[in-house]
Amino acid sequence: MRGLRTMVSNDLRLRIRDRSVFIFSLLVPLALMGVLNLSFGGGGTDSVDLQPAVVVASSENSGQLGEALLEALDTLPMMDVTVTRVAADEVSGETRDTGAELGLILPEGFTTAVTSGEASTVQVIEGDVASIETNVLISVVDGVLQQFAAGTVTATAGGMAGLPEDELTGLAQRTAAGPAALTLSEGQASAEQLSLSGSLVAGQTGLFLLFTVGFGVLGLLAEREGGTLTRLRSAPVAPGTIIWAKALVGFILGVVASSILLTVGSLLFDVSFGSPAVVGLLILAVAAAATSLTFVVAKLVRSAEQANVAQSILAMVLGVAGGAFFPLQTSGIVATLMDFNPISAFIRGLGITSGGGGVADVAVPLAIMLGFAVLATVISRLLPDRGARL
Amino acid sequence: MTAASQLQSAPILGVNSLVKRYDNHTVVNDVSFHIEAGETYGLLGPNGAGKTTIISMVAGLIPADSGSVELMGAVMTPTSTRVKGHIGLVPQELAIYPDLTAKENLMFFGRLQGLGGKELRQRTDLVLNLIGLGDRAREQTKKFSGGMKRRLNIGIGLLHRPTLLILDEPTVGVDPQSRNSILESVETLASEGMAVLYTTHYMEEAERLCDRIAIIDQGRIQAEGTRNQLVELTGGVDRIDLRGTGSTSNAATALRQLPGVQQVDSGPSNLLLTVHNGPGLLAPIVAEAGGAGMALTSVEIVRPDLESVFLHLTGKALRD
Repeated sequence: MRGLRTMVSNDLRLRIRDRSVFIFSLLVPLALMGVLNLSFGGGGTDSVDLQPAVVVASSENSGQLGEALLEALDTLPMMDVTVTRVAADEVSGETRDTGAELGLILPEGFTTAVTSGEASTVQVIEGDVASIETNVLISVVDGVLQQFAAGTVTATAGGMAGLPEDELTGLAQRTAAGPAALTLSEGQASAEQLSLSGSLVAGQTGLFLLFTVGFGVLGLLAEREGGTLTRLRSAPVAPGTIIWAKALVGFILGVVASSILLTVGSLLFDVSFGSPAVVGLLILAVAAAATSLTFVVAKLVRSAEQANVAQSILAMVLGVAGGAFFPLQTSGIVATLMDFNPISAFIRGLGITSGGGGVADVAVPLAIMLGFAVLATVISRLLPDRGARL
Repeated sequence: MTAASQLQSAPILGVNSLVKRYDNHTVVNDVSFHIEAGETYGLLGPNGAGKTTIISMVAGLIPADSGSVELMGAVMTPTSTRVKGHIGLVPQELAIYPDLTAKENLMFFGRLQGLGGKELRQRTDLVLNLIGLGDRAREQTKKFSGGMKRRLNIGIGLLHRPTLLILDEPTVGVDPQSRNSILESVETLASEGMAVLYTTHYMEEAERLCDRIAIIDQGRIQAEGTRNQLVELTGGVDRIDLRGTGSTSNAATALRQLPGVQQVDSGPSNLLLTVHNGPGLLAPIVAEAGGAGMALTSVEIVRPDLESVFLHLTGKALRD
């Protein structure tokens, strides 16, 4: 133990004196977080102020539901919408000429069609300059139409059940115009979603952790090239002490750097990751996984240069695949494989803790990261040494 | 030659029939030797002869394919943790941290050797003074000259007072002044009773430092003994080089008749004589050559050395 302690403290002193660990493990990721937040995160805030919008609409003889749709647009709480009514054949030109965000043509007999379960088409025309406001308006129209569609289904079902026609009409109108019976409420913990800023802080922390732990085990290759490994191996210390010391150094650096990045990132970008204790567990687990990966790298390379290249490639692949820059949408086997990416598990764990999740809630991400650590360590033991002579 | 070497004692190191192969190439082939307390033992051979591989096995860095190394009666292998504490290794390439000061280097490796507290501080100061770096102790070693780094490299090896100090080509790339300082340090350590295993391809270093020398080539020990014992292998003859003008052929004929002269080789303006006891025969040789009409311009006695021995044993020069 004395030999291990001596080697670890000496290595940490060398890394601190070298200063490169500060640059590559703290300054660079923090700078990258800042740049990415400015680029994608709206300067550190996730909200967008919607501008006033104009909708040019035709609703002649569309009936009660057509008017309800336009009223829904007119009274949107999140943005100021002005609805200008024109004839159906003037909607397109008026939308273009006035620079309106959206044109909308409701067909004659729209309400009747909905309540009788018949097909009906509502035409939307995007403004010349498609904007976020246009997209919001289209989404609102789509949402209202889907609620109307529920009325159509109700009427159809009533007809099949043999209800009288006057009852069917009333039932369909109540369903279409009334409040939705079921609502979707988005919760943070259940969705495992971080805010954009939170994702960037977590992702960059995970990505640079893979580089930081390399300062430990890959330092062993530098010792070999610098000649000091011979002297270490001739010292009266237990076999395996050298490799364990290097791994411990990488692990310690990884844990410290990740803790600092998450803390500073939280303060700079107004993000909360939840319980520090549970976040600490996640950091320990992902650092263990990252450190184990460096064992594999060290077995596959012949020099420190090769090790740096291999480490960088692995870090970028795992980091990008894990969502260090932006979430990847995958499905099938690829999605399953992605689930075993420790960086992905780390970010997912932080999403859970940021929504108030505890230790039990992050059990799966923790198990994935620790399992990865065990698997990589076992693989590294089985791999033949290509020249690093560890 | 040290007084301690004259003492008869149990071997500190016993190397028995060591063999090491890499990819079917035998780099160390049946090597055996022993070193006693206070003895300086040299492995003399050209680069690639197998010296460093032998040292690596002795220091427990690599395993032997066959044979054994015994240090203080205990078998040395790469996992012999306790036994390694008896060894101070000075590798051929510098093994120091450039970002640490000289004192920090010494204290780190001292702690690895089990030293601590007051003893470690005292030993560090003592060694710093011994290697002449007392006034540069707090400077980062990357600012040191090559010679200073070499001295520190040696200092680390002897910090924990090892029973056996192993020096692998410690003077390679060192300026003459630092080289002399290193050699003096080794002589001092040997005189204090430390056993030393010294590898070199410099014949004059082996002659100056070593009580016994093994001449090694192609992984095998070709001969072993004291300097004089090795020289005897060449037949114990000297060579005298006579240069001058006049009748060298007459001089050659006359000198062949002189008792003690074994052989005379004629060159265009010189004669090379192989003789027993060159210094004793010098006066009659000069007189005989002059009497035969050769006007001498220079006379040189070439006494046999380890270079001659190596040439005699292997048929090639030491620095080939």
